[in-house]
Amino acid sequence: MSQGALPDGTRFVLPDTAARRDELRDLLRDLYHAWGFDQVEVPSLERYDPNHPRAGQSFKLADRDSGVLALRTDFTPALAQLVRAAHPAVAGGAQRPVRYQYAGTVWHAIDPELARTREFTQVGIELIGVSNARADAELIHLARESVRVVGLEPRVEVGNPGFVRAAFDAAGVPGSLRDLAADAIDRKDRSDLSGVLAPAGLATASVDALLAIPDLYGGNEVLAHARTAIPWPAALRELDRLEGVLREFEDDSELMLDLSMARRLSYYTGVTFRAYTPDFGQPLLGGGRYDGALLPAAAGFSLGLERLMRAVARRRSVSETEPLVLALDDAGARRLRAAGVRVVRALDVEPAAVRREARDLGIPFVLVDGRLEAVDPAAGAARLADLEAALVGDGGADA
Amino acid sequence: MNGARGEAGVRASGALVLALPKGRVMEESLAALRAAGLRLEPRGAGRALSYDAGDALVIEMRNADVPTYVELGVADAGVVGKDVLMEAGSRLAEPVDLGLAACRLSLIRPRGATTMVERVATKYPRLTAAYLGRIGSGAEVVKLTGNVELACLTGLADAVVDVVQTGGTLRDNDLEEVDVIAHSTARFVVNRASLKLRSDRLRPLIEALRRQPGAR
Repeated sequence: MSQGALPDGTRFVLPDTAARRDELRDLLRDLYHAWGFDQVEVPSLERYDPNHPRAGQSFKLADRDSGVLALRTDFTPALAQLVRAAHPAVAGGAQRPVRYQYAGTVWHAIDPELARTREFTQVGIELIGVSNARADAELIHLARESVRVVGLEPRVEVGNPGFVRAAFDAAGVPGSLRDLAADAIDRKDRSDLSGVLAPAGLATASVDALLAIPDLYGGNEVLAHARTAIPWPAALRELDRLEGVLREFEDDSELMLDLSMARRLSYYTGVTFRAYTPDFGQPLLGGGRYDGALLPAAAGFSLGLERLMRAVARRRSVSETEPLVLALDDAGARRLRAAGVRVVRALDVEPAAVRREARDLGIPFVLVDGRLEAVDPAAGAARLADLEAALVGDGGADA
Repeated sequence: MNGARGEAGVRASGALVLALPKGRVMEESLAALRAAGLRLEPRGAGRALSYDAGDALVIEMRNADVPTYVELGVADAGVVGKDVLMEAGSRLAEPVDLGLAACRLSLIRPRGATTMVERVATKYPRLTAAYLGRIGSGAEVVKLTGNVELACLTGLADAVVDVVQTGGTLRDNDLEEVDVIAHSTARFVVNRASLKLRSDRLRPLIEALRRQPGAR
């Protein structure tokens, strides 16, 4: 077996990082649980599907029957499969909400450049079986709360690729130019957009209207700008849809609009959104509505836990999770652990050696022969008193 | 203050952070940004890689590194050639074509060469591979970082893909431009999060830059 380097884009997770990641993961799981999203699991191995949007980025494996398997690149297709199996009526078009949450590893077979890992943890939710403004708003609410619950200030930008698609239809942008035009709009690149549209021979008024789209981002005023700049009723109906979602918010101060969101035009069919936090230059979360792509009515979002950890690390110190007591006494250790204290079992058996072991490990207290003592003078008498109360099982100290 | 450093990074000051490429484009970019209303002091005699220029913190770097700094959000915005952006494949907002540093990215060969191209040397391996794929060539691509014309002259490669501004260097070395792959100008690029979260400062700047002569 090779003792060499890890595969590109993979990493070890040391205790500090593992603890912080689990802490974030728990906060998110509890948040989604509190909003009624049930946890499900799906296999990490999938049948390789060349039509999957990320097929080009999947790690492939040969199955023993000569079939091709792939490590999952995201959860959405497997969850859709799960819904088709568990809720055939919903998969057949019945209007009934199914709320699921998931968390697990995904793998992307990409060049691990630009600080991207190839193995990372994705957490997300899906709200399946309903397609209306209230359902869209619920997901945007939760996108905002996902950022807030980890202690960051949320900003969520909301867009609707249906708006760009309707504008392309109305202006008569030929199919062969649509990907390039959508890409230019998404990059806010008016100069490139006018170059892409030039060979299409569109009416001047249509080109002018399309060239206004890259600048349609900002606060609520963007909707009014769009209504004056864009002449096409079908595109304006897509704005009505977006306004319907925004009306669901009593406080929209943390929301922003971007009508030039135009990625994956053929996948997303309704509202899309991304969450940010100030002073962190990458989106923390992204999602949207994809009715008809995999299920008749479905929307959801996912976030990468490792990136979220980087954003959190800039703002907040790690919570206190270091082991507190090194114990020679198993019965006492059990009582302390029951009170939520992290207790490590001593490997030495002589009291003096146990104290030395504690000092070596940086653990401030030892429990020897039923007695707690501080090995680190800086550990504090108040903390010792708290631990002693936990040791005697004195839950009602205030009585 | 001479540019925040250390653990907190350049962001600590809360100022707008601009990534600019070293050399002539840096001077032209600073001029365009000043004309657009930013108060930017020239850099002092020091050799600091980042400096507080007044309305923004300027960080100076190699052309090819600008997309990385802006995409990862260390800089809010920057100036970089479209050729570099296309090669990097970055996902940035590119709201202004500054019209500066206009050049072509071209396939270049020794004058009169008629043999099939078998090996192409370039600083742009991604764009070159895509171009060769488009024209149905099976030539191999060699990545170089310096003077790629040298590859043709020494026989390392039988063609190069590189930027051409005036064509003077080509003429001097008896090389000719065989095909134009792309046109490039300097772009004002913006981190996608900053574009939204710091729009109070960036929106007016983008509008003013677009009004500069030659920009759009």
